[in-house]
Amino acid sequence: MKAVPANLLVFAANVLIPVGILVFSFGFFPYKPLIPGLATFGRSEYVPPRIFDKVIFMVVDALRSDFVFSNTSGFLFTQSLIRSGAAIPFTAYAGSPTVTMPRLKAITTGSVPSFLDVILNIAESDTSSTLAYQDTWLAQIKAKGDRLVMYGDDTWLKLFPGMFSRADGTTSFFVSVSRTLLFTQSVLPRKLTFFPQDFTEVDTNVTRHIPNELAQHDWSCLIMHYLGLDHIGHKAGPQSSFMIPKQNEMDSIVTQVYGAIEQKPHLQSTLFVLCGDHGMNDAGNHGGSSAGETSPALLFISPKLQSLGAGRDSPVDAIDELQYYRTVDQTDITPTLAGLLGLPIPLNSLGVFIPELLDMWHLGSQRIQLLNQNAKQFLRILKETHSAHSFDDSTVPSNCYAGSQSGLDEVQCAWSRAQRLLRQDDAATAHSIHVQAEIETALLHFLEVSQEVMSGAASNYDVMHLLLGTCITGLAVLFSFPDTYKALSGHRHSGLFLVACMLLYGAMMFASSYVEEEQQFWYWISTGWVFYLHVRSFESQQKAPPQAANQSTHSAAYLSHTMGVFILAISHRILRRWNQTGQKFTAEPDLARIYFPSHQGSLWFLVGLTYADVCLNLINDLTPSFIWPLLCLAVTATCFTFKLVFAASESPELLDETAVRSVAALLNGIPLVLYARVAMGGIVLLLLASRFIAKSSHSPHRRIKGNQYPDLPDSQVATQGSGNDEPNIC
Amino acid sequence: MASTTPPTPAPNTAPPKPKPSQPPVSILPTQFARAYALAHPALLLSLVVYRFTSVVENPIAELLGDIPYLVGLQAVYVMGCLPPAGSEKDPSGSGPDASEHKTIKKSASISALRRRGKATGSASWSTGLVLVAWKLTPALLSLTLTALLATPVLAILLILFGAPFTTHHALTFLCAAHMALLSSFPLIYTHGVDGTVWREVWGAARPLDAVWGGALGTCIGAWLGAVPIPLDW
Repeated sequence: MKAVPANLLVFAANVLIPVGILVFSFGFFPYKPLIPGLATFGRSEYVPPRIFDKVIFMVVDALRSDFVFSNTSGFLFTQSLIRSGAAIPFTAYAGSPTVTMPRLKAITTGSVPSFLDVILNIAESDTSSTLAYQDTWLAQIKAKGDRLVMYGDDTWLKLFPGMFSRADGTTSFFVSVSRTLLFTQSVLPRKLTFFPQDFTEVDTNVTRHIPNELAQHDWSCLIMHYLGLDHIGHKAGPQSSFMIPKQNEMDSIVTQVYGAIEQKPHLQSTLFVLCGDHGMNDAGNHGGSSAGETSPALLFISPKLQSLGAGRDSPVDAIDELQYYRTVDQTDITPTLAGLLGLPIPLNSLGVFIPELLDMWHLGSQRIQLLNQNAKQFLRILKETHSAHSFDDSTVPSNCYAGSQSGLDEVQCAWSRAQRLLRQDDAATAHSIHVQAEIETALLHFLEVSQEVMSGAASNYDVMHLLLGTCITGLAVLFSFPDTYKALSGHRHSGLFLVACMLLYGAMMFASSYVEEEQQFWYWISTGWVFYLHVRSFESQQKAPPQAANQSTHSAAYLSHTMGVFILAISHRILRRWNQTGQKFTAEPDLARIYFPSHQGSLWFLVGLTYADVCLNLINDLTPSFIWPLLCLAVTATCFTFKLVFAASESPELLDETAVRSVAALLNGIPLVLYARVAMGGIVLLLLASRFIAKSSHSPHRRIKGNQYPDLPDSQVATQGSGNDEPNIC
Repeated sequence: MASTTPPTPAPNTAPPKPKPSQPPVSILPTQFARAYALAHPALLLSLVVYRFTSVVENPIAELLGDIPYLVGLQAVYVMGCLPPAGSEKDPSGSGPDASEHKTIKKSASISALRRRGKATGSASWSTGLVLVAWKLTPALLSLTLTALLATPVLAILLILFGAPFTTHHALTFLCAAHMALLSSFPLIYTHGVDGTVWREVWGAARPLDAVWGGALGTCIGAWLGAVPIPLDW
């Protein structure tokens, strides 16, 4: 009867864990109130004249700041534009999560996306993340009755269904999950236009539309989103030899567009924005919050901007880590674009008008009006979020002159100061330039302070839910404790090690470096544990004194034991360097990216060995019948061919010239999908045949283990990796 | 109920520990030995504290430059505080008669020396000199073995534990040399090349004396030293 509570406790613990995670998630992904509808100008509101009629918005995925601004950049024409003052350069801070969809949300709505958007970024079929009903500068253009055109990453099409008059989307997802995609696509009959993946095809798919679109008169917003640079980053990192040619290619598009703006009369008043949605780290990946990932480039380009007379040096050195020129927030793009195009600022924007572009308006009153509109829009969000604060024009907090306020108090003080100056300005009809400059500064100060406060609030967590979730999980741990203790008490050292391991692992989560470099902990603890086990077994071997009779067998066992430990240690050491992971050492050399591409013989020898081993195991598993070994050989050969063809098309750098050519000859017009289908079909056939043979033969040569069959396709599929991404040791 | 039966305990019925082939090494019974055995760790630690900043600034040069001092300190320690290999009577009787005979002869000659020193009084420093000279041979021998055998073995172990294989060879070897001087030098000096003892050392079956405990501390310390590697401050 005693056992019932124990079982119940374990059951309760298992139920409580998901409950705890759910409660925690509620607090971790808070619901953010969004103001619905579209912003409009007030009836009597004075709207400063717009500077530009049209906008060409060119996003280059993962365009890190140094790719454009440093002296190793391939953007030579763009740099000449910066020198001439026709381009105003910035580093646009892209907050974490640095993946495309949340970043596009930030650029278009001006709001700060939460981590929930990362999940939605991956769950692509999800439509709840659409911005169709949110206020964006695209929606504002559309509401004005103008047309929008989009070419490039189809994330835009998912975010803005029905927004574009003409569009051609390319999917961005096949880089990271090309393998998954291959197999889903071999099942689903989808077009594989881009599949023999190279770094140019995704981009020529965008570029080929440009001449045509630049000749058209009907649009007032052209969006281009280039993916090739990001793909190069993911595949080969920022130092790849493909990077400079790709930058040159992007630069030539800037040349093309800028030339058209200069020459074609209908594009005369067009603003050209070139920006990255996020950067990349030294390994070419993104998603986190390192300097490389959060520092994309941002340029406002137009011949009109030369009137500001602000040519800048280019190329330049970074001020701080990858920070070139002035760093603005990525959300600042939204109000700036709205202002320049004469649109109301989208309701949920947390951006601040970029002051460098304010001088496009020559009248001080127009500049003040622009900032005032931005400030009022901010105030509305502030009131919505912090209903306790009145932000009344007349009330001045008492501590404003004390100097040391923070958070909302500072916002309140900045607002009242700006309002006071504005009223003074109204009273004194003589608009002195000095007073106007002061008002501009005060309004900008208010905007910056509010941005800081609101960006923090946007990712605020619901602490009560977090605590509750943690408590529930803690209770689950408590419930599972008695049973765990009972199980562990029999194994003194191993149990102690397990508990110490878990405690250390838990403590590790308090340091972000240890979270990022988690693998180091496992390397460290596992080597230590293996060594400890070796020492223990060594000791116990010493305890059994060798008898004179079995001296030789004893020493043989001793030798094999020592060799085994040695081989284990060496292979563990090799696996450690197979792939560099984490954040700190990702760009360091490793076997998969440095050794194998230059030692293709050994790579393909290992791949071949893996296939041969799988084949031999398959053959040995069943009764020696006539057909079975032949079938195994045929399927393995097909899979190996598929692997070769796949590598030749996806990562040709892993096969030298002659090999690529011979494999291409092998391919000879047969699409890759067909190879995939044949290989998968072969595996299925093998599975069916093995069942049939096992049933029909009553005297199996060897006992068939039931669990061998589910493993079989896995092992074959697993070896279909791109060759260097993971160890081919299955 | 089935689950009421306690889990079968692991076969933890280890046989009673066999006596180690060599008794634990004890510090020599002289006053200097006792005092210096206490002062030695303090001296080593103060060397670390004193040179720490320059180790961080220029590890290779500093670690290389520290080796003579470390050799000196360790040599004074082993010669002053520890019995050299074979100086103590082997209780297991595995040693051949010759060595036992030699040991006795050695002890006899030492006591003779001491007696003479006491008798003459003025010549005590020369007695000390002779003692040092007599201990110098095992010290030099074990130092040679430390350099030629223990350092490479420890370097290989360091690499297996994760030290870079293709780069930073100088640093790895210097680390191994320091570890060898701290751990293997006293072990070789006190145990020589007695295979049984060394198997006990490797199998962690030695009694926790000053020498083996020091070696264990060195190795565990080196392992724990890897903990801050992922940190970026």
